[in-house]
Amino acid sequence: MIAVVTTMTTEVPAPDRVTQEDIEEAARRKELIIRWISRISGYVVVLGLWEWASGAVLEENLLPGPTRVLQTAVELFQDGKVFPAFGASLSRILLGVFLSFIIGSMIGIITQNRWFSGFFKDAITIGLTSPGLIWVLITALVFGNRWFGPILAIILTTFALVSVNVAEGIGSLPKDTLDMARAFKVNLVDRNRHIVIPHLAPYLFTGLRFSFSIGWKVTVLTEIFTASSGIGFELRIAQILFRQDEVLTWILLFFVFALFLEKVVLQAIEDRFFRWRKEIAST
Amino acid sequence: MAEIKIRNLHKEFGTGADKVVALEDVNLDMGGHVFVSIVGPSGCGKSTLLNILSGIETPTSGSLEITQSGHKAAPGYVFQAARLLPWRTVMDNLLFVQQDKSDETRARCQKYLEMVQLGDKGDKFPGELSGGMQQRVGIARAFSIEPDVLFMDEPFSHLDAITARSLRRELHTMWADTGKTIIFVTHDVGEAVELSNRILVFAQGGRLEDDITVDLDFPRDAADEEVAIAKASVLRKFEEFDLLAT
Ligand SMILES: Nc1ncnc2c1ncn2[C@@H]1O[C@H](COP(=O)(O)OP(=O)(O)OP(=O)(O)O)[C@@H](O)[C@H]1O
Ligand SMILES: [Mg+2]
Repeated sequence: MIAVVTTMTTEVPAPDRVTQEDIEEAARRKELIIRWISRISGYVVVLGLWEWASGAVLEENLLPGPTRVLQTAVELFQDGKVFPAFGASLSRILLGVFLSFIIGSMIGIITQNRWFSGFFKDAITIGLTSPGLIWVLITALVFGNRWFGPILAIILTTFALVSVNVAEGIGSLPKDTLDMARAFKVNLVDRNRHIVIPHLAPYLFTGLRFSFSIGWKVTVLTEIFTASSGIGFELRIAQILFRQDEVLTWILLFFVFALFLEKVVLQAIEDRFFRWRKEIAST
Repeated sequence: MAEIKIRNLHKEFGTGADKVVALEDVNLDMGGHVFVSIVGPSGCGKSTLLNILSGIETPTSGSLEITQSGHKAAPGYVFQAARLLPWRTVMDNLLFVQQDKSDETRARCQKYLEMVQLGDKGDKFPGELSGGMQQRVGIARAFSIEPDVLFMDEPFSHLDAITARSLRRELHTMWADTGKTIIFVTHDVGEAVELSNRILVFAQGGRLEDDITVDLDFPRDAADEEVAIAKASVLRKFEEFDLLAT
């Protein structure tokens, strides 16, 4: 579809043909530039204030500036401390979220039954509302620094999110579409594969996504209390040694990593599996 | 050729005060190369009858049998709404209902997409199409399995007049060429008279009120005197049974 905008609305002939696409493209580019400039200026302002405050407002030992933190980050990388710590935390999170996903999904499925629904109702409400800190404290008290303490804390804080989403997905299964498939004699395997699972996928994904972001917080918290490895553990050690620069470095690295997972990894998964929604959104 | 045999078919929804009788003691034989239209007021059980015939619903009592030269017939169904899989492209929606997914099948699906003027939309998602286009995909899907018997539930009622007209022609040609059995629900008596050689009139409460044979040559044109007379006589039956009021 090509509309010659200028020549159609005015008498002046356009030097080049300006198509609708060109106009949209230019608008898109402008939008992108504005977005990035505002984003970068956000960083510049915060980092600038921080650098200034370090020394001017608080002593440099209490609040090391960003340049100092960057130096420490480089040192920590060189000492080979960063990857093992992240590896330890990440493996806890992955295992915890995985188990929570399985358990939460199973509960979501069996609560379709009226009896089980009553059975789990309050547990799910509590699971949804209670802050992760409670489970962190309890599991820390009960299990000390044994490996499944943090895992259990993750499961307890996130299973309800998964089961609520799964239950909602099952409750909204498209009966009309399933009936259609039955009328056309599509077999059960294909009906599940092409209707039930794609329908549930966004619900599962939402549950997984929230579990993951909560899983991070809970894991780092448990590590601060009990573990002998991981980001939380490093934070605790840095704090005990009064290495404020290291504390800030770990926190910053944590931010960077969380952003990376959210914006790159999860986004890529979403784009890959939910392309059909994008296509709809763009029309 | 498909043979449909319905005996004492009864269908109720709900119980107690909520009970709704959708079909009451329906007896019917339909079969061979026949185009049957079902007309009647809204809520008289037309969709329910198709749902039972296609196996989506089970009857409360009574029996039915659909056979194709001895074995179970393969049905196609065009629903009142398109019922596509939103996460599959148009072509994949057609392939979804096929027994095999060979290149030959794919070519056949393409042929029917072209028949409904959507030959270039195979790789679009349903959400990118208009409502009428989605409905046409639903029609292509039912045709693409080349069923022994085809159930159609007001397939053209959401389409513009011109598209509907050309699809009616296609449908008639396909029916004439392939010798299928077509059961076609419509609320448009003119459409029923134009397409079918048999018209079943249902009344509120799911009773089969009348069974009309339309014995005119095809193709029929609404402007033809005989067709107009046939239409008028079916409409008179409607008045007779007091169906227009409901
Ligand atoms: N799943 C259901 N549960 C309860 N009642 C139903 C159900 N399906 C249909 N009915 C009822 O059965 C009756 C017949 O419905 P049906 O959909 O067959 O009517 P119809 O003739 O197709 O109407 P329309 O022309 O409006 O499509 C209606 O009273 C309807 O309310
Ligand atoms: Mg209906």
